[in-house]
Amino acid sequence: MTTTKTTNNTARTKKIQERCVNRDAVSVKIGALFLYILVLAITLKGIAQAPTVRFIDADGKIIAEIPAHHQGEQVYLPVDAVKQVIDPRATHQYNHPRKRLTLKTKGRQIRLQMGKSAISIEPDGQTLNLTTPPITIAQQPMLPINFFTQLLPMLNNVEVIYNSNLNRLQIRPKSTWAPAETNNTQNWTIIVDPGHGGPDHGSASSTGRLEKNIVLALAKQLQERIKQQGIQVHLTRETDTQKTHFERIQIAKQNQGQLFLSLHCNASFSPHEKGIRIYLNNPKGRIRFPNTTKPALIGQQLKVLAQVNFLKQSQDFAQALQTELNFLTETPIQIIDIPLIALSETYMPAVVLELGYLSNFEDLEKLSNAEYTASVVEAITRALQRYISFINQQTSPTAPAE
Amino acid sequence: MIHNNSAGFSRLLVIWGITLVVVAICLAVTLLLIERSKLTAIPVAPPPLPTAANPSDTPPPPQEVNLFLLDATTLTLVPIKIERRLRTDDLTKRLNQVVTALIQETPPNFRNTIPRGTELHEVYIDNQQTAYLDFSSHLTDGHIGGTTAEFLTVTAILKTVFDAFPDHIKQVQILIDGEEIKTIAGHLNLSQPLRLPQ
Repeated sequence: MTTTKTTNNTARTKKIQERCVNRDAVSVKIGALFLYILVLAITLKGIAQAPTVRFIDADGKIIAEIPAHHQGEQVYLPVDAVKQVIDPRATHQYNHPRKRLTLKTKGRQIRLQMGKSAISIEPDGQTLNLTTPPITIAQQPMLPINFFTQLLPMLNNVEVIYNSNLNRLQIRPKSTWAPAETNNTQNWTIIVDPGHGGPDHGSASSTGRLEKNIVLALAKQLQERIKQQGIQVHLTRETDTQKTHFERIQIAKQNQGQLFLSLHCNASFSPHEKGIRIYLNNPKGRIRFPNTTKPALIGQQLKVLAQVNFLKQSQDFAQALQTELNFLTETPIQIIDIPLIALSETYMPAVVLELGYLSNFEDLEKLSNAEYTASVVEAITRALQRYISFINQQTSPTAPAE
Repeated sequence: MIHNNSAGFSRLLVIWGITLVVVAICLAVTLLLIERSKLTAIPVAPPPLPTAANPSDTPPPPQEVNLFLLDATTLTLVPIKIERRLRTDDLTKRLNQVVTALIQETPPNFRNTIPRGTELHEVYIDNQQTAYLDFSSHLTDGHIGGTTAEFLTVTAILKTVFDAFPDHIKQVQILIDGEEIKTIAGHLNLSQPLRLPQ
């Protein structure tokens, strides 16, 4: 009896040991799988990020695309970027033991010490404190993005805007902005129309954010910013109230508006659709009105045609908006022509700007971000300056001398 | 003995109770599944034909119709072929059948751009080849808003109608509860009959 018991026990122990070995093998396999996934994810992340900084000019054209190094939240560029972006004749010397970099460009000597914020510019004798100091990566001197954003305006007569989300840096001539040219006494009045309002919520996000509130908040920010530029601005609604299209157009007329900008948020049946869209009122667009119409609608048809007279100027403003807002988006913004009720009787250049899709999570997040909305307001303001300067240039040579 | 009897009785009660609850749950689940299948199922069978005046009349043969629905991946309106026994004798009724099919169909991976629950009251074609489509107010009340969504709704209707009746309909005017409307969601101007670029 005892012998059979012991043989039974040894058999059990063997089975248990086998199971343990099997378990160990399984856990090793799972571990290996996790390791494989981790390595794959890191590799893919590395490939996906492949960071570059895109330098673009005021019209959105690419000047250079330079591979960058990300360290923490900072982005660094090699010294050669100076040649590509600032001056092709620029030269540099790097003293490796002392970690000192000397850049020669446009008759100036710029001295930098790796790891230190202060830089000196000779022969001007100027000093500049960078918000992030230059560093060495793989024993090579690397310049932080703010080297370009801070130094370029000092070297050339330019403005530099950096979009950290898309790693884009725009270099544009310093604004010589004047709302009314000396030989053109025209004072500009812009009508900003926050869409919907009151019981008309417009579109809504799944989280309960309403179009009417988003556009009103942005319209008020825009009003403040445009006023600072010396341009008069009137909103078609200042509060959460419902206004008919007719009432909005009356406000535009009463205030002698010269440009009508209607702000909206978009929505689609697919949550994947995203981005900014610009719409123009064109009865001969992607959807069109018939050439002939019923006699009863002649009055209405005449109104429609009167608005079409401003189509060219509306297109000019839409293009200005497109150029400036493209800086904020991954894909180029579309301008779409359709018959629009919101602009059907506005007898002035008019555009509907759809700021983003509330049905898309990414757009919704952007529109909830104060930094992003501020950059949209800046871009619209620059578009207005661009458009007004363009119109002033067109009208000034023919304007009667007084 | 009495104690044993009462224990047996209560056990019987428990067994019966459990059985009843299980039966009730099964019944509820079955009903729920039937209801759900009604909601999601695509009506593949053609709509019932009106009773023929002449018993010798045969039902019209099934015809292919293109319905324009939103492809959720390409974000464009694409034609989806379905079969319907379209009335051959009456153009207006045929138009009604096509637009009603557009409202009802939502195959997997595609989105219908007409708010679910919208009804087509009536259709009418005038001598200028303008089709008037009279929808219920849910087309506006149930719309998600946004210029893109409104554009997709209108374009899907126009493309479906023009594709099905290229020789008979040149333009479409959308009505709500018998009235002309200015817009569906506050962006597109629908106050006139609409066409698509050639």
